[in-house]
Amino acid sequence: MSITAETAKEHAKDPAVLCCRAEEGIIIGPENLEDPAIFDDLVDSGLLNLDGVLTIEEILGAKLTKTCDSLTPITRDVIDAIQTVAEEMNEAPAEVAAKVAPVAAKANGGVLKIHIGEGKDIQIELPMNVGTGTAKAVEIPAGAEVKEQEPKLIRSLTRKHFKITEVKRGPETKIEGTTLYIREGIEEEAVASQELVNSLKIDVITPAEYHTYSETIMDVQPIATKDGDDEIGSGATRVLDGVVMMVTGTDANGVQIGEFGSSEGYLDENIMWGRPGAPEEGEIFIKTEVVIKEGTNMERPGPLAAHTATDMITQEIRTALKKLDESLVVETEEFNQYRRPGKKKVVIVKEIMGQGAMHDNLILPVEPVGVLGAKPNVDLGNVPVMVSPLEVLDGCIHALTCIGPASKEMSRHYWREPLVLEALHDEEIDLCGVIFVGSPQINAEKFYVSKRVGMMVEALDVDGAFITTEGFGNNHIDFASHHEQIGMRGVPVVGLSFCAVQGALVVGNKYMTNMIDNNKSEAGIENEVLACNTLCHEDAIRALAMLKTAMAGEEVKKPEKKWNPNVKATNVELISNVTGKPIELVKNEQSLPMSEKRRKKYN
Amino acid sequence: MKNVQILLRQHVGAPCQAIVKSGDKVKKGTLIATPTGLGANIFSSVYGEVEDVLEDRIVIKPDEVQSEEFEKIEEGSKLEMIKAAGIVGMGGAGFPTGVKIGTDLQGGYILINAAECEPGLRHNIQQIEEECDKVVRGVKYTMEISNAAKAIFAIKKKNEKAVKILKETLKDEEAISIHLLPDIYPMGEERAVVRECLGIELKPEELPSVAKSIVINVETLARITEAIEERKPCFSKNLTVIGKLNGGNTPHVFKDVPVGTSVEELIERAGGIDGEYGEIIMGGPFTGKATTLEAPITKTTGGIIVTIEFPDLHGATMGVLVCACGGDEARMRDLAEKMNTKVVSIARCKQAQEMKSGALKCERPGNCPGQVKNSMQFKKDKCEYIIIGNCSDCSNTVMGSAPKMNLKVLHQTDHVMRTIGHPLYRYLTVSKQVEQDI
Repeated sequence: MSITAETAKEHAKDPAVLCCRAEEGIIIGPENLEDPAIFDDLVDSGLLNLDGVLTIEEILGAKLTKTCDSLTPITRDVIDAIQTVAEEMNEAPAEVAAKVAPVAAKANGGVLKIHIGEGKDIQIELPMNVGTGTAKAVEIPAGAEVKEQEPKLIRSLTRKHFKITEVKRGPETKIEGTTLYIREGIEEEAVASQELVNSLKIDVITPAEYHTYSETIMDVQPIATKDGDDEIGSGATRVLDGVVMMVTGTDANGVQIGEFGSSEGYLDENIMWGRPGAPEEGEIFIKTEVVIKEGTNMERPGPLAAHTATDMITQEIRTALKKLDESLVVETEEFNQYRRPGKKKVVIVKEIMGQGAMHDNLILPVEPVGVLGAKPNVDLGNVPVMVSPLEVLDGCIHALTCIGPASKEMSRHYWREPLVLEALHDEEIDLCGVIFVGSPQINAEKFYVSKRVGMMVEALDVDGAFITTEGFGNNHIDFASHHEQIGMRGVPVVGLSFCAVQGALVVGNKYMTNMIDNNKSEAGIENEVLACNTLCHEDAIRALAMLKTAMAGEEVKKPEKKWNPNVKATNVELISNVTGKPIELVKNEQSLPMSEKRRKKYN
Repeated sequence: MKNVQILLRQHVGAPCQAIVKSGDKVKKGTLIATPTGLGANIFSSVYGEVEDVLEDRIVIKPDEVQSEEFEKIEEGSKLEMIKAAGIVGMGGAGFPTGVKIGTDLQGGYILINAAECEPGLRHNIQQIEEECDKVVRGVKYTMEISNAAKAIFAIKKKNEKAVKILKETLKDEEAISIHLLPDIYPMGEERAVVRECLGIELKPEELPSVAKSIVINVETLARITEAIEERKPCFSKNLTVIGKLNGGNTPHVFKDVPVGTSVEELIERAGGIDGEYGEIIMGGPFTGKATTLEAPITKTTGGIIVTIEFPDLHGATMGVLVCACGGDEARMRDLAEKMNTKVVSIARCKQAQEMKSGALKCERPGNCPGQVKNSMQFKKDKCEYIIIGNCSDCSNTVMGSAPKMNLKVLHQTDHVMRTIGHPLYRYLTVSKQVEQDI
């Protein structure tokens, strides 16, 4: 279809093909050209041969020397002269990362913007002397800071790690040296505490027992507790290393909690080791297998009861952990939250599931990833909630999530959230906070909360925003709407989601131009391997590079027609070249023993 | 003579209100219905007796003997007489002429639409050939009323005889010129006329007044002359009857046919239908619609076409490309059904913009925006055939991709073109530019 002048400019480097019959002597304009967006299909179907074709910028304004029919590629022999292209400012847009490097801060005294037209986008920003009224051109190397402002420390969080090498059952719950004892008979009390829980079984899974069958994994949680009266997100947190809580379960009829896309099976075949939300290889799992009342697996109270019952056990371990002597601390980590005035202000919007049933998240419990004191985001109406990055890393989210296990974020994911960590430590940006927003079931509600996100981001006056989501399909409606709400306010956005093949976006809008695909699976699918396609370090650094690029006013290249994992590989390599740090990509399910379920999926 | 049926809605705007009742005697030119809002007076076209007043029409039983005399309209200013005569745009649009030319053009242009763009129709060109003076006098009256400094006849160059007569008639008229049009469809679209004559491209929602101009049809101008010079009300119509008729497929031009005459009567006058037929179209091949033998003609009826039979495509899958220059979706679906196909995909030309009224208007009539995306949609939706109603340029573009995708292309006008021996609308072989010298 004929294109507009704007589209022609966007596609200046793309092939010029006549959309319709054009007569000799006309001056070629955008209305004579076919939209390059459909060329791939045309070439594939043999309708178009682009050999020798000139680009749109080379022919716009040229005179056609021969009457040509529709879909004729414009070649040198049918125009009077190739139009001179002002200046070669073009860089392969795939080199997003190459342009990342230091982000120029806003000059304090305002910015003199010079825009040179000619179909190019040359933008020069020079600081102006304030007060004098005259703009002095000061020569400044690209990206140099105008004035270095001191970062401001907002708060700190200390993590004290205690090592556990063995988990045993005993008469009381306690920690002796590196051995954790869990009280025998605690199961009965846990069951009794929840009306909907029929039974609860504790299995201690050591690495030797990884090849054990398990019901679907509902959550993986760190075992951590606050020191004294400290609150989530500041002060000190004690955490056990070498052991994690794992919630699994079914309903009384044996139906998995989260029957569509569940990770039941042999643990070693269904866990993507080392993902932020997953166990590390070598860790001991304290696995509860909770059976809830029949039929409650798809209702909110059922999964919540399974989690609450498990947390009763965790809570007893937390109490024991609080008593441990400081001398047993094996490692101390410190997280500092700085605000960095003068840097590009950035916010992270994390979309969490709030459709109900097992799609819920408990926000801000008293203990890290606890239950007590937390509010379910469904009950909060899924409205955006602002938290500090340190609250995220200190377990402010207790995730009730299990459908589509490969792309959902377990509680442990937030504890180790890579994007929050990268953004927190990135001295080139000013991370102002993390907004959690629920994904409601109904579209009207989705747009309701999304508009609140837009207002919140507007009030924050940020220079850029990340939007992350988990899962695929339903949640993409909100994901797209968040992009629109933020993008329409002129704020560059980078979105992170599992998409690839199976999770391809079902909706879209013109603000969804900067996308990071969290996929790691070989075939680009929901492979039901726990946490396989969740946000990892390699995604976080790409997202950061992309947002910096977008905030600098550079364009991010359009995606290819079909999902192509090489795009990611190229970008990672480019980023690595710039930062000088090698980036090792995480493994995918191919590194695991093949499960029967997966064999079927892949064949 | 059979009963005449005079519709109460023959124009843009609200239906008129009947002011006669059954049993009333009427003459030619008796006012029988008046506007209730935007509209135009409606007159009896015959001497006779009102047989029935229905919701949408007045039925008159004509007398055996019909005089040429008619009741005259009251004398008044030129514009008043045009309004009183109930003249509406006779090219098909039916906009009340008194309203249209009542604007002050401040020295602008009267553009005479003599494109007669619908293939097969002939009555406009024939009127120029036979009554050029009358038309030109109408032009001058209109220029005077609407304060226009210039007038331009937009006529296709292929009409050599008419152009020659016109040129001769206009040899001493400095303010009136001729602009020659290429023989492609659509040149008679109002905004296309403005573009061709004045080089101004109007947006679909804009009226020619934006370009300080009025576009007016040849026959309408002749009716203006009649109203002013003869005080004659508008109750008759010129039209072309063509198609699968006894005696051949040449056009029959009938002048001053009483409004309300049935389609059947006109077909009989033209020789009668020759055997089996496909459908009867009222209007032109592009913008006309299927009609019945009983239907009456109105002030805007330009053509009656009897077509050959439709092909039977045995339930094949059909894609429909709807555009502003041809039939609307309902008409296209009607044709798809008549050819025994199953519509599985509907696309709309990119330039077809929906107006507030729901009607489609083309952004750039006669200049294609590209069609390959629609072809891709039809292919994806597994169409065997596609039917298009596009203009010459767009049809050519469709031919640039659809056949290569193994889509069989049919044009809305195919059955008419085959009937009247006109080339089918497929590839464009003539230039969109014509030299202005004659």
